[in-house]
Amino acid sequence: MPQLFSNKRLILLLLGVILLVALISYSLRTRDDVSPPEQIIKDAVGVGQSIFSGPAHFVTGIFDNVDSLLNTYQENQHLKARLEEFASVQAEVKDLRSENAELKEIVGKEEDLRDFNPIQATVIARNPDQWEEKIIINKGSSTGVEKNMAVMTASGLIGKVISTTPFFSTVELISTQNPNYRVSAMVLGGKREVFGLIEGYDAERRELLLKRVDAEIDLKKGEQVVSSGLGGIFPKGILIGEITEVTIDEFGLTKLAYIKPAAEFSLLNHVIIADRVAPEVNGEDNGEIDESTETEEEGS
Amino acid sequence: MIRFWIPLISIVLFFMEPIFGLLSPLKLDGNFYYIVPRFLIMFLIFIAVYYDLKHAIYYGLFFGLLYDVFFIDIIGLYSFLYPAICLAAGYIVKSIHRNLAVTTMLTLVLTALFEFILYQFFKFISLVSIPLDVFLNTRLLPTMIANSLFLVMLGWGFKTIIDARLIEREKNPRLS
Repeated sequence: MPQLFSNKRLILLLLGVILLVALISYSLRTRDDVSPPEQIIKDAVGVGQSIFSGPAHFVTGIFDNVDSLLNTYQENQHLKARLEEFASVQAEVKDLRSENAELKEIVGKEEDLRDFNPIQATVIARNPDQWEEKIIINKGSSTGVEKNMAVMTASGLIGKVISTTPFFSTVELISTQNPNYRVSAMVLGGKREVFGLIEGYDAERRELLLKRVDAEIDLKKGEQVVSSGLGGIFPKGILIGEITEVTIDEFGLTKLAYIKPAAEFSLLNHVIIADRVAPEVNGEDNGEIDESTETEEEGS
Repeated sequence: MIRFWIPLISIVLFFMEPIFGLLSPLKLDGNFYYIVPRFLIMFLIFIAVYYDLKHAIYYGLFFGLLYDVFFIDIIGLYSFLYPAICLAAGYIVKSIHRNLAVTTMLTLVLTALFEFILYQFFKFISLVSIPLDVFLNTRLLPTMIANSLFLVMLGWGFKTIIDARLIEREKNPRLS
């Protein structure tokens, strides 16, 4: 009966474990940039991955088409009912837009937090083990994607870019459990805009938490929540979701609202990265500004 | 040509995993179920059992590193666990009969163990906070059902290819 581990093997195993712990603790630190060897691996794997994801999206596209064909009749009925309403809303929007542009001209305001350059991207992979909510998209720093930019689909905000390589970037979805993930948001619908922070995700209810809202302000169920653009990176006005419940937070000082996300997080395909036109402030779109940029701003 | 089949299949499985990952979470009756594709590790266990433990460990190290860097940014997690699971499979198989059904069972047990170790790790670094019973019901169970379906469909194919490669290697030892 041979021994399971000889002395030499035991030493090798111990060395391996030490190396492993060192590597893991190195990579668990919050790192600002992706190191060059990692970038090379990421880009190489990304190229292979996009070769595979192309046909896969084609196949899921066919299923989606069949699915929507089956619903056509009901959908048509529903849409017809809303068509008249739509025409009047469209006229109103046109009117308001032109009025808004005129007013802006009068005030002489050129930059708007709402303006952004959309960068279209395709999702090539989702982190398969799904412990962290991450997706990989096929646009990187060479097309102007930068860390912390907002990522959305047609229906709403889905996440933000957490790392970029020249040709690919990683997006952390808003449904993450990461406690350091914050988005400054505001609630529409009241007389004035109400500001708060999207902070945390309730995995059981599958809803986002809007925290740090003034306790005196009345929030109502069904009100829409959008990004406020005050965090420094995200543009203003990206739809995040709808309030489903309002409570008081654990300290009883501020209000806490549950928000049902507007976007679906499964079966993501095409996404839009929002490159905001207004100057960006270094930070994580959580209202906290790096000291270096703060002093720069003061100087300019 | 058969000698290139094993690395080729490994690469294909590696790239298929995230694509199947896009389908998850699955919504059934208002409940969400996470299905994690574990095709590569199951194939590596088959290599460790039928072909060669050393090859399995090298493949595990290589693909584990790619997985770490590309997906989870924690270097050393998969690149340690993949070879470790292969090593365990290699040791266990010495004392059991190499029957396809037995190997399939062994593979599934080891994959479940793999998933469980990952859960413990992520809980340890407090990246996830879901309780054990929720993990078992919404993640481990659906994952194992989906993966066993995959293995039942393709396990026989894996074995056939590995056997063909073994025969080729015996005929022509230079190519090993």
